[in-house]
Amino acid sequence: MGDTLNKVKITTAFEGKPNARALKTYVDNGGYTALKKAFSMQPAQIIDEVKAAGLRGRGGAGFPTGMKWGFVPKDDKGPKYIVCNNDEGEPGTFKDRYIAECNPHMLIEGMIIAGFAIGANKGYIYTRFEFFEEIRWLEIAIKEAYDAGFLGDNILGSGFKFHLDHYTGAGAYICGEETGLLSSLEGKKGQPKLKPPFPAVSGYLHRPTVVNNTETLATVPFIINNGAAAHKAIGTEKSPGTKLFCISGRVKRPGVYELPLGYPFEKLLNEDAGGMLPGYTLKACIPGGSSAPILTPEELKGLTLDYEAITAKGSMLGSGAIMIIDNTMSMVELLKVTVDFYHHESCGQCTPCREGTGWLANIMGGIAAGEGKKDDIERMNEISARMGGRTICALSDAAAMPTMSIVKKFGAEIADYIERGIRA
Amino acid sequence: MSETVTFKLNGKDVTVPKGTTVMEAARREKVEIPHFCWHPGLSVAGVCRFCMVKVEGRPKLEIACNLQATDGMDVKTSTDDTKAAHKWALEFHLINHPLDCPICDQAGECGLQDYYMSVGKYHSQMTRPKVLKPKTLDVGKDLVLDTERCILCSRCVRFEEEVTKTGALGIFDRGDRAIVGTYPGTKIEHSYQTNLVDICPVGAFTSRDFRFKQRVWFLKDKPATCPGCSTGCSVDVFGKPETRTYYRVKPRQGEANGHWMCDKGRDTYKHLNQENRLRTALASDAKGKVSEATFADAIADLGSRLAAVNPAQDVALLVSAQHTSEEYKSLFDFFVRELGVKKVYQWREPGEKTDAFDGLLLRGDHNANTRGLQDALKEAGLPGGVKNEFDAVATSGAKIVIAVTPEIPWTFPSLERQLDSLSELGFVSFWSVAGSLTTRKKVKHALPLKGFAEKKGTFVNHAGKAAKLEHPFPCTVKDGRDVTEIVAALKQWRQNHGRH
Repeated sequence: MGDTLNKVKITTAFEGKPNARALKTYVDNGGYTALKKAFSMQPAQIIDEVKAAGLRGRGGAGFPTGMKWGFVPKDDKGPKYIVCNNDEGEPGTFKDRYIAECNPHMLIEGMIIAGFAIGANKGYIYTRFEFFEEIRWLEIAIKEAYDAGFLGDNILGSGFKFHLDHYTGAGAYICGEETGLLSSLEGKKGQPKLKPPFPAVSGYLHRPTVVNNTETLATVPFIINNGAAAHKAIGTEKSPGTKLFCISGRVKRPGVYELPLGYPFEKLLNEDAGGMLPGYTLKACIPGGSSAPILTPEELKGLTLDYEAITAKGSMLGSGAIMIIDNTMSMVELLKVTVDFYHHESCGQCTPCREGTGWLANIMGGIAAGEGKKDDIERMNEISARMGGRTICALSDAAAMPTMSIVKKFGAEIADYIERGIRA
Repeated sequence: MSETVTFKLNGKDVTVPKGTTVMEAARREKVEIPHFCWHPGLSVAGVCRFCMVKVEGRPKLEIACNLQATDGMDVKTSTDDTKAAHKWALEFHLINHPLDCPICDQAGECGLQDYYMSVGKYHSQMTRPKVLKPKTLDVGKDLVLDTERCILCSRCVRFEEEVTKTGALGIFDRGDRAIVGTYPGTKIEHSYQTNLVDICPVGAFTSRDFRFKQRVWFLKDKPATCPGCSTGCSVDVFGKPETRTYYRVKPRQGEANGHWMCDKGRDTYKHLNQENRLRTALASDAKGKVSEATFADAIADLGSRLAAVNPAQDVALLVSAQHTSEEYKSLFDFFVRELGVKKVYQWREPGEKTDAFDGLLLRGDHNANTRGLQDALKEAGLPGGVKNEFDAVATSGAKIVIAVTPEIPWTFPSLERQLDSLSELGFVSFWSVAGSLTTRKKVKHALPLKGFAEKKGTFVNHAGKAAKLEHPFPCTVKDGRDVTEIVAALKQWRQNHGRH
C-alpha cells in the first residue's frame, strides 16, 4: 500500500520554476538521465519495469501501460510507432496542456524511452487544435531536443534512432479516441477504427502502434530513474502513482493539482481547492470528465480518488477532471449541454451513437424549450441503455452514462421542470 | 487442406474454414442475422451495429460481421437479448428516416421494411421533429440520391473505394448531420453506378431509369445471363408478364461477375419491349407484295424459295454471335449438314476491339456467345476464327441470305447501316428481335426472334464457361420463335412438301 497523502511531484515537478519549459532547466534538474539509464537496459526490462510500477493510462480508461506496450509484436521487424495522445478534449479536463506548459521535455523523454522499449523509431505528438500556445511550446521543445542530440539517428551514441514529429488535430473530440486519432494522423476523417485488429498489431498506417496519453508518457522517466518500487510507494495498491486532477466549478482555487491516487476527495475540495465559494453549496460532482456518471454529495462522502474507489461508486476516475456542480446549477441545463456536446461530437459512423446522441439532444432541447413530455425521462433512460456497449468506440457510452446517472439521481428535478413547462 | 474451425451456431455444430466470420458462416447455413452495412462483396465496416449476436461466456453482444468463428465458440443469434438489440438497432435506424415508403421506389425490397416485419414491429418512440437532409441530388447520370432516406451504412462509399476504385463518394459532416455525397464539383462518372442502387439497402440511391416506373411487387424476376458482352454476368431480369413488359436487369451473384454488373448490361431489357420489337413476320404473297404475315405463311414463303434453288451455291448464312449454342447447332445441322450450304459468314461489328476490357467486367467483345458460335462452326466442319465477314455476303452470289441478326442494338453501332445494305441484296430473310426492319421498304422477309430472356439455351463466355438460360419469360411477341423453332418449322414444311 502506497502513500495516498504524500504530495510527490512527478509530472508537475517543474511547476513554478523560472524557464520551466527550457531544455537547460530540465537537464540541470536531472532531465534526460532516465533516457541514459534506459539505454543501458534491455527493451523487455523497461516494459517489465513499467508493468511492475503499475502505471495505468492517464487518459481515461486506466489500462495498464506496460501491458499495452507488451502487446506490440516483438519479432515484427517493420516500422512501429509511438503516439502521444495530447488531444485533451474531455470536458472538464485541462491537465495535459499543463505538462506541455511545465515539462514538455519530460514528455519527450518519456516518448523516446517508450519508443526504445517497443522498438519504434518514430513518434508523433498529436495535440488538440485549440492549444495554440502549447503547440508552439512543444515544437520548440522538439527542436531543442534535436539540437541537443536527444532526438535523431544515433541518440547519445546508443545507436538508437528516434524521430519525433508534432501533429495538430482539426478540433474534433473523437480524435482523442486512440483509433480516431490514428485515422486523423493518417490524414483521414477522424473516425475510430473497427477493432479487432487493435493498434498494437495494426495501428498507424496498419503498423504496430502504441498510443499513450501525455501524462502517462511523462510519468515514464520517473519510473526509470527511481524504479518501479518508488512509483508503487505512491498511491494505492491497484492505483499507484500520482494523478493530475483538474478541479473546476465554483470553488475558491480551481486548477490542476498533482496528488497521489487514493487522495480523499473532501481534502482536495476543502483544503487544496479551498472549498466552495461563499454562498454556494455542493450539489453534485462529476469526476473523470463529462463522460463519467455524476455523484451526489452522499456518494462523495469519504470518497477517495483512485480507480477502484470511484468505480465502486458507479462512476469513474477517467481523465481526472473534478467538475463541481453547485446549488445554483440546473440539472436540465447540465444534461442539455452534456448531450448537446456528444451530439455535436459523435462521428456518425455507428448507428446507435449517431442517432442516439441526436435523439437525446432532441429530447433535451424539447424539455429546455418547455415542450417536455412526461415520459421523456423514461425514454431517455431507455435510449441511453441501448446506446451503451454497442459501438466501435466509447463515445456512445460516454453520452449514455452521464445521461442515465443524471436522470436517475436528479430525475425529480427534471420531472418538475417538465411538469411546470418552464423554459431554460 | 486448409484449416477449419468448428463452432456452435444456435446449438448446431458448424465447421468452416479458419478466418470465416460468424456472419459468413450464418449465411452459408441459411441463418438470418439482420444487417445493413455488411455486404459479401465489400470490406467489413461494422457500423450499423445491427448484426448483434450472443457469444456464450462473453459479457457484451458482439457484431457477427467482425467476429471470427473460433473452435468451441457458442453463438446464438436469437436470444431475448439479441432480439431486443435488433429491435433497438432498427429503431435507431428509423427515427430520422422519412418513412416515405408510398413514394419510394425501394418499397417492397427495402431492408428497413423487411426488418421491421421480421425483427421490429414496435411502436416508435420518436416524438420529436426529425433531422432533415438534402433530397433528389444529382450525383451521376443514372442515379438519384436522397440523403434523408440514407442510413449511412457506407456500402456505397466502400463500393467506390474498393470496386471501382474511384473513391467518388464520401460521408461528409458528422453525427446525425452526416450525409453521403460526391466531392464538390464532381459526379460519379463511371459506368457501374447502378450497382449503388442495388447495394443500397434502403431507398437512398434510386435508379433514374427504373424510378417511378413500376412497383416491385408487381414484377417477376427470372435468372438469366447478360447478353451484353462476352463476360456473361449472371443477372435477374424483371418483367411483368401480364403486360408483356420488361423493366430492369439486375446482377445476381455469379462466378463471372461476383456481385456486380455494368450499366451497359442494365440496358439489355430495353430491346425486348414491344415498342422496340419486330412484332410480326413479313413475307411476300403470290404477287410478290410484302406484308405482315402469319408465322406459317412466312415459313411457307421461305420454304418454297429454298426449295427452288441449289443450296450449296445459292444460299448463304450470315450469323451473329448473340444467340445460343443450341440455336447454332440446329441452324448448322439443317442448313450445312442437311441442305449442304457452304457459304456461312460471321456477322460482327466492324472495327470492334474484342480484346478490350475495362478492368472490371465489360469486355470489348459485345457478343455473349462468340465461343459458342466458334464451337458450332467447328463442329459443322466450317472454318472458324473470329472475324467479320459481313462484306463477303454481297459478293457471295447467293440468291437467298438467311441473316441471323444481332439481338442487342447498342452492341452493334453499325447495325442500322448494315441492315440498309443487306436489304439492297436480292432476297434476305431477316431473323431478328429488333424492330427497325419493318420501317425498311426493301425488306422482303422477316421472322421475329425470341430475346435472351425468352428462350432456353447456353452462352459460352470469354473464358469458356457455359451459362444456361433456363427460366424464360413468355415471349412478348406473339409469333416470336427461337432459331431452333424456326429451323424445326422449316424442316416440317419440307417434310409436308415431300422434300427431305
